[in-house]
Amino acid sequence: MSHAIEMRGVCKRFGPVVANDDISFAVKKGEIHAIVGENGAGKTTLMNILFGLYHRDAGEIRINGAVVEVDSPRRAIGLGLGMVHQHFKLVPSLTVADNVFLGIEKTKNGLVDHAAQIEATRAFSDKFGLAVDPEAIVSDLSVGIEQRIEILKVLVRGADVVILDEPTAVLTPQESRDLFRTLRGFTEQGMTVIFISHHLDEVMAVSDTVTVLRDGRVVGTRPTAELDEDDLVHMMVGRNVSFDRRARPATDGERVLSLNEIWARDSRGLPALRGVSFDVRAGEIVGIVGVDGNGQTELAEVISGLRHVSHGEIVLHGRTIQDGDPMLVRHAGLAHVPADRLHRGVDKADTIAGNILMGRQRERPWSSHGIINWRHVRGKADELIRRFDIRANGSRTLVKTLSGGNMQKVVLAREFSRAMPFLLVDQPTRGVDIGAMEGIHEEIMRQRNEGAAILLISVQLDEIMTLADRILVMFAGTIAGEVDADTATEDEIGFLMAGRDLPSRDQMAVNAAS
Amino acid sequence: MSAQSESREPTAGRTAPMPDWLHSLLGTLLAIGIALLGGAAIALMVGESPVHVFMTLLRGAFGGMDRIAGSLLQSTPIIISGIAACIAFRGGLFNIGVEGQLYMGGFAAAWVGFSFVLPAPLHVTLGIVAAIAAGALWILIPAFFRARYGTNEVVSTILSNYVAILLTSYMTIFVFKRPGGWSETAPIAASAELPQLFEFSRLNLGIFIGVALAVGLHLFLTRTTAGYAMCAMGSNPKFAEYGGVPIRRNVFLILLCSGAVGGLAGGVETLGVHHRFMEGFAPGFGFDGVIAALLANGHPLLTILTSLFFGSLRAGSLLMEVETNASRELITVVQAFIILAVSAQLLVRRRRDSQAGERRWKY
Repeated sequence: MSHAIEMRGVCKRFGPVVANDDISFAVKKGEIHAIVGENGAGKTTLMNILFGLYHRDAGEIRINGAVVEVDSPRRAIGLGLGMVHQHFKLVPSLTVADNVFLGIEKTKNGLVDHAAQIEATRAFSDKFGLAVDPEAIVSDLSVGIEQRIEILKVLVRGADVVILDEPTAVLTPQESRDLFRTLRGFTEQGMTVIFISHHLDEVMAVSDTVTVLRDGRVVGTRPTAELDEDDLVHMMVGRNVSFDRRARPATDGERVLSLNEIWARDSRGLPALRGVSFDVRAGEIVGIVGVDGNGQTELAEVISGLRHVSHGEIVLHGRTIQDGDPMLVRHAGLAHVPADRLHRGVDKADTIAGNILMGRQRERPWSSHGIINWRHVRGKADELIRRFDIRANGSRTLVKTLSGGNMQKVVLAREFSRAMPFLLVDQPTRGVDIGAMEGIHEEIMRQRNEGAAILLISVQLDEIMTLADRILVMFAGTIAGEVDADTATEDEIGFLMAGRDLPSRDQMAVNAAS
Repeated sequence: MSAQSESREPTAGRTAPMPDWLHSLLGTLLAIGIALLGGAAIALMVGESPVHVFMTLLRGAFGGMDRIAGSLLQSTPIIISGIAACIAFRGGLFNIGVEGQLYMGGFAAAWVGFSFVLPAPLHVTLGIVAAIAAGALWILIPAFFRARYGTNEVVSTILSNYVAILLTSYMTIFVFKRPGGWSETAPIAASAELPQLFEFSRLNLGIFIGVALAVGLHLFLTRTTAGYAMCAMGSNPKFAEYGGVPIRRNVFLILLCSGAVGGLAGGVETLGVHHRFMEGFAPGFGFDGVIAALLANGHPLLTILTSLFFGSLRAGSLLMEVETNASRELITVVQAFIILAVSAQLLVRRRRDSQAGERRWKY
């Protein structure tokens, strides 16, 4: 049987950097094929070559056994390929159907035939169980639905091989499960799916075959059933990496942060926090979990002084901060790793040194009498580059030339080196690859063991389970419950995340059995 | 990791291929080159040899000490206005009202000049201070509304230009007009005049004020904590806010400083060149300054160069008009081409940045 897709000896260089080095792999018809690897392993480059976005330097591509020349995305689409990029390209003001048919509009008498487009969109949506309303306006829809629209675009253009680049990066766990069900549906109808990921649990759950890339080369292509997660990590990183729950000495530190009945509104003026109270003590990590949009964002913003508190009191290191601004909060003792690193965490146009300086530009010896001591700043930056293993040629490197993982390390380096009594750490490993993730977790644990009080917010439950001492679950702007991280199970937390009361253990056992 | 950063990975860790100022300079030269080509095309249309036109232009701007001094004289208000625009630009704001601030500053300086009798250093200093205060006053309303309510400062500063030009015009014609002759006020006292540098030209101390401002701003931006905070605001306001920079207060202060320097430009022109306030005394200097700053990408030292370019064009065009068929408006056309080239560059840059940086975080 010929393969749906086969790439042989593909090479691609960008200047001195070899992104793909003699890559060969084959995808069987009707399978779900995962391509995994760390950032910079060459996954996206390879897929962009397959889809005609990049021109390869060497090698050949076969589709259904025949050698083809894919020199443009248009050609790729003609050959039955479809690619869902990580960054959606939709027109927010148009309907779903209009977006799906953008560029290939159905017409009647020279005018766009909206009815026919809606009809066809509905047909495709139903056929693949996507449950998208063709007449909805895109700006009203969630990111999960937007991704389905992108998938519909690919299907309508006649793809029978669907390529997805990091499809779950923007999805909630529920949306991810729906996506996987959809992908399964594709293969049942004889289509082939290739997806890029570095979330190993989902690779294990959904793929038939895995190809692992490392440093631009193929480490191996294996049936998923023959592998476990540890094997995959070993193949990707080249060494063993542990994400077991971290051992920790018990602590009983003093209260560093306390929130008392905090109420706040979101950007649309709706109540987002409804009476949130909790403490964080020195030497402990309090984890916050919850489904997106249950107040975690606003919680981080009120604590860091970026959002107005309508009612309640926040005390940080003995100072009342709820009426303050970011500067006051920082002086009171906050270090903050923001969730939105591109927009909040760094100034991409500035150098690493300039980014390391932010927040302490008025402190000695960083500056004196209003004059910045650049020699000190650069020295410190170089030191942090080494300590945090930031891949850059020194402190004058512009941040915009760094990869996402390294940008995140710049943020962590700046904030963790402040030795503040309280750390607000929001999504520390979002978009960071596995090897770097381990290092970041280690650094967070070190801060804890040195006596920092840490509030860790993450959408990744396993990250919270690995690091936190106590776990607070947020639901609808309240703390729905607290569980002890040593004994909690994912099911327990899942119940609280869904806004339900914690059932007794016996009931859980019954539920699990049935 | 995101597809974007992974596809950018090959460049990861590489230092910038060229320093920012060089990048700005190349862009600037490209814009000027395109504009001169456009100007050449226009010269051909009016039946003149572009070579002849440009040579005359060059001779008018640089053919002799007096002509060079003339070019510097024309450049002076453009440099100072350009620095005014730079201040706002680097803080992420736009002050398109430099022209208006220049008129207000010019009028205030003249008023101090002809209304008081004071010893020389004090009188001229007071005139300068009055010009600065008038410029700051003239941006007060746009600055307040921008800082307090986020009102778009581009619109409010543009509109304030018309008020300033017409107000000073009214004051000159109906309140302070010198009997007989032109629409101008009485001359200022000699004690209020900025010292001239040479016998043969009205070139005055103002050029040094402009250059000192540019150097000072450059040092401020690169060396001081306040300048650092201002650059961070201009480049990524959310980052600056997160880092504890008081955004609203700084927006207000930055615009106020920008307006103050705009006023200074007018004061220098009045006290140094005209020695009185004349209706329409400085046509377009403020706008030229804004363009010079944009062309220099907000870099204060490059702004000196771009301002000298515009000033020389203005000076050279006088001779060009006399000796060739090309009218002075050719210079306006060249400037228009420059604006087009610069805005095209800005568009390209913005598109590239948004492609590289766009990422939909969802909490």
